[in-house]
Amino acid sequence: MNQTSQPSVTREAFWILPGVLLAALIWFFFFKPTVVTPPELMQATLLPVARSIQPFSLEQIDSPPFTLDNLKGEWSFVFFGYTHCPDICPTTLQDLARVMKQLDEKPGKREKPQVIFISVDPERDQGQQLTDYVRYFNDQFIGITGSPDELLTLTRQLGVIYAKVSGDAKENYLVDHSAVVILFDPNGDFRAVFSAPHKADAIVHDLGKIQQFFTASRL
Amino acid sequence: MKIQAIFCLLALIISCEISAANDDITVSDAWVREAPPGAAMLAAYMTITNTGNRTRVLEWVESMNFSPVMLHRSAVVNGMATMLHQDSLSIPAHGKIELKPGSFHLMMPAPSIPMRAGNAAYFILHFRNGDCLMIETSVKKASDMP
Repeated sequence: MNQTSQPSVTREAFWILPGVLLAALIWFFFFKPTVVTPPELMQATLLPVARSIQPFSLEQIDSPPFTLDNLKGEWSFVFFGYTHCPDICPTTLQDLARVMKQLDEKPGKREKPQVIFISVDPERDQGQQLTDYVRYFNDQFIGITGSPDELLTLTRQLGVIYAKVSGDAKENYLVDHSAVVILFDPNGDFRAVFSAPHKADAIVHDLGKIQQFFTASRL
Repeated sequence: MKIQAIFCLLALIISCEISAANDDITVSDAWVREAPPGAAMLAAYMTITNTGNRTRVLEWVESMNFSPVMLHRSAVVNGMATMLHQDSLSIPAHGKIELKPGSFHLMMPAPSIPMRAGNAAYFILHFRNGDCLMIETSVKKASDMP
């Protein structure tokens, strides 16, 4: 046996292991499909798959119609209600105002969503009155509404329902409505739902987790 | 305006038989939620405690600031926010009932002159046995409440 060839075989074998390791590392960092575990949430229910929304158009005072495009490019909290509602609606808007305050106090950690209040009582909630109402809670809040058909185009996609309930006088009717806060991601997709009762701390916690999950899932 | 308010208050007190039995009932943490601009309805909250040996039933409420005052309960039923009219509210013996956001509350139409945080508001609680209790409270911003 030629003794001079023995060292060259050893040298080749010596490079195989590091080569395989290097290839595995390159594959791990650049080609491995990302598997991200959904986050543990306190209050929100994350949709298994973000749901795309078909175009809709609602009305806001002194501005062009509010459409699907307005939900794109930033996170959005959407809540349905009406201004004649004395308890649940102002309580929820107050909770969302607390969420915004907490996010302001912790800048940089989370993207601050826009907050949109959609009135399901277009007969009584119109124009400036709706805007003044929502801005009482936070001057960045957006108040919009639309005709019953326009509202239905959006609500039926979100599983949101509402119904007039007779009150003690014809003009004093109440409106039962879904008590959920819906979270849209910056793609304008329906991403998560927060059921009542709402707690600002839990919403802030879950928002951060969902935003991290969203970012990680895109890598 | 002030004289008119005092007159209204006197009229309410006279219409109500205040008895010693009221010692069993105390009201704490009462407040009226300041209405956002354009809101037509308001809510008021309080804790009513019964230290007596008998259940007490709150049948109706009147106020010099608001009319009418309705007993309501907000609830989320199958995901729907709804308001349920209450004919009366029972306060169990040695117990209490909390009127708070998202639950029992007094509902009343907003007065024509908006009330702002700091304004005083008066209510008279009428119980089934004929007793009544007058309370003075004030309008507060929900953002100032815990």
